[in-house]
Amino acid sequence: MTFIRPKPIYTVAKKEFIDNIRNKWIIILTMLFVILIIAFSYVAGGQTGDDTFGNMQNTVFGLLGISSLLIPLIAIILGFSTISGEAETGSLYVVLSYPIKRIEVLIGKLLGLGAVISLSVLLGFGFGGIIIAITVGTESFQGYLAFILLSIFIGLIYLSLSICISSYCKRRITSIGGGIVIFFWSIIYGTVIIAVFLGAGYEFSDFMRGNIPDWFFNSVILSPSDMYQTTVQRAFDVKTIETAGFSVSIPEFLSLPVLLIAQFIWFIIPLVIAYFLFKRRDI
Amino acid sequence: MVKKIIMCPKCKHQLTIEGVAGEKKYLTCPNCNTRGVFNFPSEKVIQSEPGANAIEIKGLTKIYNGTLAVDNLSFSVKKGEIFGFLGPNGAGKTTTIKALLGLIRSNTGEFYINGYNTKNDGIEAKKKLGYLPERANFYDNLTPVQTLNFFCELKNVDKSIILPLLKEVGLEESKNKKVGNFSKGMRQLLGVAQTMIGDPSIYILDEPMGGLDARWVKTIREKIKQLNKQGATVIFSSHILSEVQTICDRVAIINNGRLIAQDTVENLNQYLKIKPRLEIIIKNINQKVLEIVNKLDGVVSAKIEKNTLYITCEAKTKVKIISNIEDAGYEIDNIITLEPSLEEAFMKIIDMDRGGK
Repeated sequence: MTFIRPKPIYTVAKKEFIDNIRNKWIIILTMLFVILIIAFSYVAGGQTGDDTFGNMQNTVFGLLGISSLLIPLIAIILGFSTISGEAETGSLYVVLSYPIKRIEVLIGKLLGLGAVISLSVLLGFGFGGIIIAITVGTESFQGYLAFILLSIFIGLIYLSLSICISSYCKRRITSIGGGIVIFFWSIIYGTVIIAVFLGAGYEFSDFMRGNIPDWFFNSVILSPSDMYQTTVQRAFDVKTIETAGFSVSIPEFLSLPVLLIAQFIWFIIPLVIAYFLFKRRDI
Repeated sequence: MVKKIIMCPKCKHQLTIEGVAGEKKYLTCPNCNTRGVFNFPSEKVIQSEPGANAIEIKGLTKIYNGTLAVDNLSFSVKKGEIFGFLGPNGAGKTTTIKALLGLIRSNTGEFYINGYNTKNDGIEAKKKLGYLPERANFYDNLTPVQTLNFFCELKNVDKSIILPLLKEVGLEESKNKKVGNFSKGMRQLLGVAQTMIGDPSIYILDEPMGGLDARWVKTIREKIKQLNKQGATVIFSSHILSEVQTICDRVAIINNGRLIAQDTVENLNQYLKIKPRLEIIIKNINQKVLEIVNKLDGVVSAKIEKNTLYITCEAKTKVKIISNIEDAGYEIDNIITLEPSLEEAFMKIIDMDRGGK
């Protein structure tokens, strides 16, 4: 007997995709991506003094702060109730009365919802990218491609986190609470780490003097969305980042492979926890 | 040996008694000396030969957060029967069904569906199973066709059955509407259609008629009968006892997570000594008719109210009573026979389980 069978996984993934691609919030957010990328590109072009669109790198860096919030938001919207909500409405009872294993349901959901995120990002950023490529050129094209892939991956990380929360929470409403917590962590992380920095006896002037301890940079792995921003900057081969209004150099140890491995860990661990929670869960 | 705490009906004094299943115990209240009898409920569990059972539940115990929901429950359902699974709210019916389907983890117990152990052969066990939960909710953004398509794929069943299934449950015209716009009854019918995918040999229906209006109830009842005629085993839990009585071959009654009775409705009534009742409207009624009736063997009680004679009697005495009344020159206007109902049996069993007489 095989452990995991591809056909039931595909069936669940297909259902999740068809069911969620019509989610009005996903449609709105995808349209927002297109509008934002065009708007940010235009703003980036304005900064150079030209009355035209900015290049891909400037556009991406302008957009990074917003995309690091919007993509997690899409993932949380899709994933927060996928187990708890379906258990509450009863549809999960029916699915699990069929010849399918719980792990197959979980993987199917991840793939189906992941496909929705991927399509949303590809459509939104892809369309924007085409406009920039036509009007400005394909400079930093590889970085832009990496940006799209990393944007999909940050979506999958938050999807994994929200599925984990959904597997744990008994009710949909508590899953919403969990989703809000992980979303706000991505917002408040910067403030928290600055507070810890100042609490450790450092001052704002230390930023300008370059007197920044290693742990300050290492801690970026505690926030997937901040890590996503750093990884995108690395992908564009950028050496300095803006933190709390100060421009600082990204240390060498936060290399692209290290950041990718850290992101993969953020993706896989919640998923493994979700599996064990879902496996033991009373539906 | 079963231990029970019962209450004296007169002084409400509580006393603990011990006995075996099916035993009749004569008691005297130590507080007020009232005498009475307590029947320990039968816990007959059918032990059929291997392979004859569609469902077997052995020693199911489930504890939720320290509360005992199901207590060492064992019963089996024979292939080809319609089996009613009854109990008051919170008795443990849904918990039992969920444990059988592997939706919840039991503390103890083994479960067999079509002879497959659900723990070791869960996939095989569920291949020929159709399940309808109490709240049949599906995916709001999908159409009925897409919904059934999903379930067909899960069972590896050809999609050509979808439209005939929708036609069978009367949802053909709504096949392209979103399920999110469906009424509760329509969702339930979609749920029924879903259960029929892959021609299951066992149907487990949890309160399939709950909250539905008469039209939908009739449709689902007819469907259950039809599926059973085609050879399927149907287990359904319900609180609409009249429905259970109409269509079930056997019933199991649980209370506080324990099986307190399992038999045919007829046998339960016989065991509980629930008698039929006669209401005879007599034109020239008088007190003498009571004397005639009370002399007959099998008459438990009789009384007159206005022009109606109310009699509780053994089933076999009914004809004798009527012929005796007519022979005595009374003119009978109308006769109403009230057969023992499952509801009476159910209430009596639950009452007995709670410690009543």
